[in-house]
Amino acid sequence: MATPETKIKKLDPKLAEQEALKDIGADYEQKFGFHDPEGEYIYKAPKGLSREVVESISEYKDEPDWMREFRLKALDHFEQRPTPTWGGNLGQIDWNDIHYFVRASEKQSRNWDEVPDDIKKTFDRLGIPEAERDFLAGVGAQYESEVVYHQIREDLEKEGVVFLDMDSGLREYEDIVREHWATVIPPNDNKLAALNSAVWSGGSFVYVPKGAKVEMPLQAYFPINTENMGQFERTLIIAEEGSDVHYIEGCTAPVYSTDSLHSAVVEIVVKPGAKVRYTTIQNWSQNVYNLVTKRAMAQEGATMEWVDCNLGSKLTMKYPSIYLLGPEAHGEILSIAFAGNGQHQDAGGKVIHGAPKTTSSIFAKSISKDGGRGSYRGLLEVAKGATEARSKVVCDALLLDEESRSDTYPTIRIDESDANVGHEASVSKIGEEQLFYLQAHGLSEEEAGKTIVNGFIEPITKELPMEYAVEMNRLIELQMEGSIG
Amino acid sequence: MTTGTAKDLTETIVVCSLEDLPEGEMRLVEADGRKIGVFHAADGELYAIEDRCSHDDGPLAEGEFDPGACTVECPRHGSLFDLRTGRPKTLPAYVPVETFDATVEDGNVKLEVD
Repeated sequence: MATPETKIKKLDPKLAEQEALKDIGADYEQKFGFHDPEGEYIYKAPKGLSREVVESISEYKDEPDWMREFRLKALDHFEQRPTPTWGGNLGQIDWNDIHYFVRASEKQSRNWDEVPDDIKKTFDRLGIPEAERDFLAGVGAQYESEVVYHQIREDLEKEGVVFLDMDSGLREYEDIVREHWATVIPPNDNKLAALNSAVWSGGSFVYVPKGAKVEMPLQAYFPINTENMGQFERTLIIAEEGSDVHYIEGCTAPVYSTDSLHSAVVEIVVKPGAKVRYTTIQNWSQNVYNLVTKRAMAQEGATMEWVDCNLGSKLTMKYPSIYLLGPEAHGEILSIAFAGNGQHQDAGGKVIHGAPKTTSSIFAKSISKDGGRGSYRGLLEVAKGATEARSKVVCDALLLDEESRSDTYPTIRIDESDANVGHEASVSKIGEEQLFYLQAHGLSEEEAGKTIVNGFIEPITKELPMEYAVEMNRLIELQMEGSIG
Repeated sequence: MTTGTAKDLTETIVVCSLEDLPEGEMRLVEADGRKIGVFHAADGELYAIEDRCSHDDGPLAEGEFDPGACTVECPRHGSLFDLRTGRPKTLPAYVPVETFDATVEDGNVKLEVD
């Protein structure tokens, strides 16, 4: 069979684009509400967390001793720490009612044909093959806890770029992994990072060697598909000096009747002069607790960018962070959160200026409707010695009805007198006049509302790759349906 | 015992006898209103750092001590510090902590505090 790459060459770019876009949003329920039958799992750990479960995960994966010790130590930290009482309500999570590890497929597959039919069907609904044929550089699709399909373009491999699932990364590049592992987010950083450290499985390992520029974004999907199964992927990205990479993760989850937990850890090391952009579009089903720790360290002259779009979930607590630790390092965080009925999006970002002449910006936008709650929680810190730092923080909230709620918790700490820091915050409602103006131009009330919301988030969606921008707008529109009038 | 001149204002403190601080152990002392941890590493050397993490003021010296790697891990958020330099090897801390000279004299561990 022809590989996806050979097909790309034969397709007219315009046709390929239309092909990629034709199904977006057309079959939303099937696409994102999938629920494959359970029972096809090769390994499923019993519910609950114990030394035995952690040891069995490590043994199953045939890990080196240091990783097993790391997991067990993290488990101790998890057990010793209280459940956080700030942010959202985590009191309903029963830590002992969760499967911490499920394995869906016996072996890793590099070719789409080798992926088992059940799993292929799920990904077909997600549209991954179409997307890949068009412009994906590589796909690492995480079905349950383990990546089952992973393909990387040969030219990336020739440049020495490594894009693997984390388990394979640990096996094949143990020295590089060990050198950087948990240096950005130690297991004792917080309770959820400790949990992830103890039971992590899957995620991506990306290594970009010195000077390598990855033209196409690397992409991975992470769906959850087993009732009460936590998903604890762990991603480590290392961009060596002067390199450039864009990583995209898309998250979708099927609808289940009981609560699921997603708790990932993403660590990024951006070395001098390198640039990393990490884009997330998350669309969890409304029963998922999405509790993620994401942090990057940017060295001298490096650039780190987080583009974070949060939809769905019952509760999201996620604050991508950037530590600017070398002179002239730059960080950007763009965040969108949409909170609907019964949802709490506690999102935001953190930037720590730890070196002179560092610059940063945080743009956060939240939309709340039907009683949903959107919170911005952020930190901007300029440390002693970080002279001539510049930063701008803007957080805007749009409330679509009287029942919805928006909160802003901005923290700014400045220890240098010459720092230039700006902070703007706004809360607004869709105005009658705006609606009237658009309706006078022929739009229905609902269309007018969607247009205003899409305009509100446009500064962030324009930063997304085209396919994702279209999908993001479509998702927002679906969330908006019936909300006006 | 306290020595020093008006010029350098260095204070020397006797921590304990060397016998009471075997390899792999840490001893906490208080000097000039702050706590300092004195560590006896596997290389046979003595190292001393302030018992306060630069990230969140956690009791750093009281964390897990690895005598072989010459590191201590803050018990509050897990930052790992190099005892030789006071520099953090992992986030969330990124600012070094203060280090002090610890020596052995007449079988006693002595600490020099500014």
